[in-house]
Amino acid sequence: MNWLIQFLRRLSMLFRRAQFDRDLDEEMRLHIELREKEFREKEHSETGFPPEEAHMAAKRNFGNSLALREVSHDSWGWSWFEHLSQDVRFAFRMFAKNPGFTAIAVLTLALGIGANTAIFSFVYGVLLAPLPYRDASRLVVLNETTPKVGNVSVSYPNFLDWRTASKAFSQMAAVQQMGFNLAGASVSQPENIVGGAVSPNFLSMMGIRPLLGRDFDPSEEKAGTAPVVLLSYPLWQSHFGGDRGAIGRTITLDERSFTIVGVLPPDFRWLDKMDVMLPIGVWATNNPDATDRGARGDNTTIARLAPGVTFAQARAEMNAIAAELAKEYPRQNGGGGVAQQSIRDAYVSNTRQALLVLFGAVVFVLLIACANVANLFLVRGAARTKEIALRIAFGASRSRIIWQMLTESLVLASLGGILGLALAIGGIHGMTRLLPTDTFAGAAVSLNAPVLLFVALVVVFAAFVFGLAPAMHATKQDIQSELKEGGRTSTAGAWQNRLRAVLAVGEISLALILLAGAGLMMKSLYNLMNVNPGFRTHHVLSMEIDLNPQRYAKDPAILNFWQQVLDHVRALPGVEGAALGTVVPLTGNHSRTDITIEGMPLPKPGDWPHPDFHEISPGYLRTLGIPLLRGREFTDADNEHSSLVGLVNEKLARQFWPNQDPVGKRFMFGHPDLSGKNPPKWITVVGVVADTKLYGLQNPSRLEVYDPLRQDASSDMNLLVKSNVDPAAMISAIRSAVASVDKDQAIFAISTMDQLRSDSVATQRLTLVVLGAFSALALILAAIGIYGVISYSVAQRTHEIGIRIALGAQRGDVLRMVLKQGVQIALIGVALGFAVSIGLTRLMSSLLFSVGADDPATFASAAILLALVALFACYIPARRALRVDPMIALRYE
Amino acid sequence: MHRDEIPPGTLYLMILKTLARRRELHGYEIAKTIQQNSEDVLQVEEGSLYPALQRMLVKGWVKASWGTTTENRRARFYRLTPLGRKQLEIEQSQFERVVNAITRVIQTA
Repeated sequence: MNWLIQFLRRLSMLFRRAQFDRDLDEEMRLHIELREKEFREKEHSETGFPPEEAHMAAKRNFGNSLALREVSHDSWGWSWFEHLSQDVRFAFRMFAKNPGFTAIAVLTLALGIGANTAIFSFVYGVLLAPLPYRDASRLVVLNETTPKVGNVSVSYPNFLDWRTASKAFSQMAAVQQMGFNLAGASVSQPENIVGGAVSPNFLSMMGIRPLLGRDFDPSEEKAGTAPVVLLSYPLWQSHFGGDRGAIGRTITLDERSFTIVGVLPPDFRWLDKMDVMLPIGVWATNNPDATDRGARGDNTTIARLAPGVTFAQARAEMNAIAAELAKEYPRQNGGGGVAQQSIRDAYVSNTRQALLVLFGAVVFVLLIACANVANLFLVRGAARTKEIALRIAFGASRSRIIWQMLTESLVLASLGGILGLALAIGGIHGMTRLLPTDTFAGAAVSLNAPVLLFVALVVVFAAFVFGLAPAMHATKQDIQSELKEGGRTSTAGAWQNRLRAVLAVGEISLALILLAGAGLMMKSLYNLMNVNPGFRTHHVLSMEIDLNPQRYAKDPAILNFWQQVLDHVRALPGVEGAALGTVVPLTGNHSRTDITIEGMPLPKPGDWPHPDFHEISPGYLRTLGIPLLRGREFTDADNEHSSLVGLVNEKLARQFWPNQDPVGKRFMFGHPDLSGKNPPKWITVVGVVADTKLYGLQNPSRLEVYDPLRQDASSDMNLLVKSNVDPAAMISAIRSAVASVDKDQAIFAISTMDQLRSDSVATQRLTLVVLGAFSALALILAAIGIYGVISYSVAQRTHEIGIRIALGAQRGDVLRMVLKQGVQIALIGVALGFAVSIGLTRLMSSLLFSVGADDPATFASAAILLALVALFACYIPARRALRVDPMIALRYE
Repeated sequence: MHRDEIPPGTLYLMILKTLARRRELHGYEIAKTIQQNSEDVLQVEEGSLYPALQRMLVKGWVKASWGTTTENRRARFYRLTPLGRKQLEIEQSQFERVVNAITRVIQTA
């Protein structure tokens, strides 16, 4: 309490400083006057003073009133503040006197700080911001692994066994993703929404409480439980206007009524989109997947580590459980294992590497910017030596002057920081637009408080980095010689030139690192874009239709719907072709299953061929432009009444029928029933198609088989439309064509194939664009840096150059003399940068595609480009040296 | 006449004690009172009174207000606060402890 009153007392003094000083002056004056009077009155006695002496004696008795005033002033504890505000005012006066210097320095810093801010707001939002779960570091996402494809979803029976057997996890929950059609009075147009069917303990395990209503009850885990949902906050807002009365009402999903029992909090985040949440018992109702150990659908399993259990202990336990289950169920679990990752890693997945590379790059940009500004300060410091020497002579302490100069740096860096924030807002906006919308799964990337704190730290850091050396240097000079000479031949000059050259070398080596990184990304992206995906993306539109199982329960109804949609869409003007397929490449969706090749020796569990399979309509290959290599494609005659046919891709044909004609060979889905009860359903291969890049351009093609939709009906299909006009212009016509078949049917995931292809390389492209921008910035700054050094040295040596020319030096000699220093700086910088970047680019190798992290061509190009730019930057001042008129240069002496 | 410097740290004590005896005093009066009460042996280095008074203001031991002297001059008068009175007791007992200790050391030596 007392300290607070004291502080308030100090504060009130701060605001009445002028009054304070006047009071103190008056008080001291009175004291001296009274003392003087006393001395004078003693004049008549034996100890008295004559009047003039009395005044002096009184003053002497009092002491140094100026110093005492200062000490009194200091006792209120505000001297630091007064010095600071004085220094800040002084800094602004200095800047106003040198607008050019100030503008360049502030702009340079703004670019450096702005770039840092933009990147850090991504790093913070994605990698650092706390996840909205209780004790999120103890949450683990679990997957099964299979020998053929790596991580897969956990089948529900396996999940149940894991949960029972595991002691390392205090809780475990499953989240099954379900799609629903939402149609009816509450929506203007039928839409597809995503539901998460969760184990009833999910929310409490995550530490989330519904905003309104209730959490699920343990009894709701059983199949056959009443259909209830929790609404996500956005859905509650958009469809119910945030009405609290929504609780207890119903929402119609796939023509079933679900009772709304609650609303999720606004900050709820999940790995996948989740518009509604429902108890897993609803998902399990009449669902064969709920009891099929081999069915690995859209399940995410999440668990909380028990107190005191480490990640590694849990992994060991889970591996043992998985091994046990593999022994027990070799057909479904053979060769399988468990993968676990922290929930943070599950969110971040592959963006961490790119973000860290960019963050590293942006720190380099800041260092280059600081080096440049330090260089500017050194040049200006040279012009200010006389002023500083004068102030030292008048008694200013060295530390006081260093602080004053650091204050100048701080003010400059703050101005740069403010401008940088404005640039960062633009940068964040631009970068977000380069990424597919759901890249960061709901991470908030913005200029929030932690980002602003980071900017403040960067400003202080930058101010010290570029301000300290010039400030130390400026106060180091010999006052005497400075005052006498005017500083032209100061001994500190050599030291300063060396420092400036070192800064330029540093800038060039950092620039080379950035250039090499950007070059590697450019080459990598070029390689990626030139990968043949196995299909054409031009003018093809893709969209998903997931039929409502209530309305379309039987195959004939489903097939009839699809046929009508195809007929209607194909009749639209501008449509060249339309087809249906279960899996669109590059979307991340996939269906895989084991197959048996006729005549092959039966493999061990886990070793079965495990291709991707597609159910497709006739015309699919033509619409997507997938080349048919042999045989024929499907026709309308390949239907539910004809014999089973299939297509295989080249890779599968090569692997299982090498040097044979695959057409006419047979395979079947799944494993043969050895009991002989179910005769094998052999599928005859009628054609071979080219491999496609289903899983992204950078990933190898896998085995693929295709079978006709009419022989294997599916209620969830992608409609692909090839048009001879801009595909985006077709969307509304296609919508109405589908609506004319069923007005309640939702269409979603609408995208052009070009967009999907471009999105699939979005991370690499963003990395390239940002790295490219940084390295261009670095190149310019480094060029300015070396230009500054050389042109300053030319200015300093004008006299010497004049003498040389007067003595008959040739143009070439002068040019060589000036360029020599520049070449030295450039070469040392390039060599240093080369050595460092070879080590650093290895850190980005996971971002690169078919180019080595030490690609010699890229490094050589970066080095040559940088060297040429540096030389050009030196050439400009060198030409100025050639124009030196010896008469003028000598007259200045 | 020989005058002694006041021992360091005792300036506060003397100012507090001086103000405790009188209702309020201005700076010159404080200096003069200390000098007279010490029968001219102790002399405050006069100016140093003022930084000390400022520090005491910050700490809330004294309060200051402007008034006029008997000779009708404007002057700043200082008076003790309750906190200052408490501080006087602390400083005084502390001082006595130190002096007693030193005296004992000197006498036994």
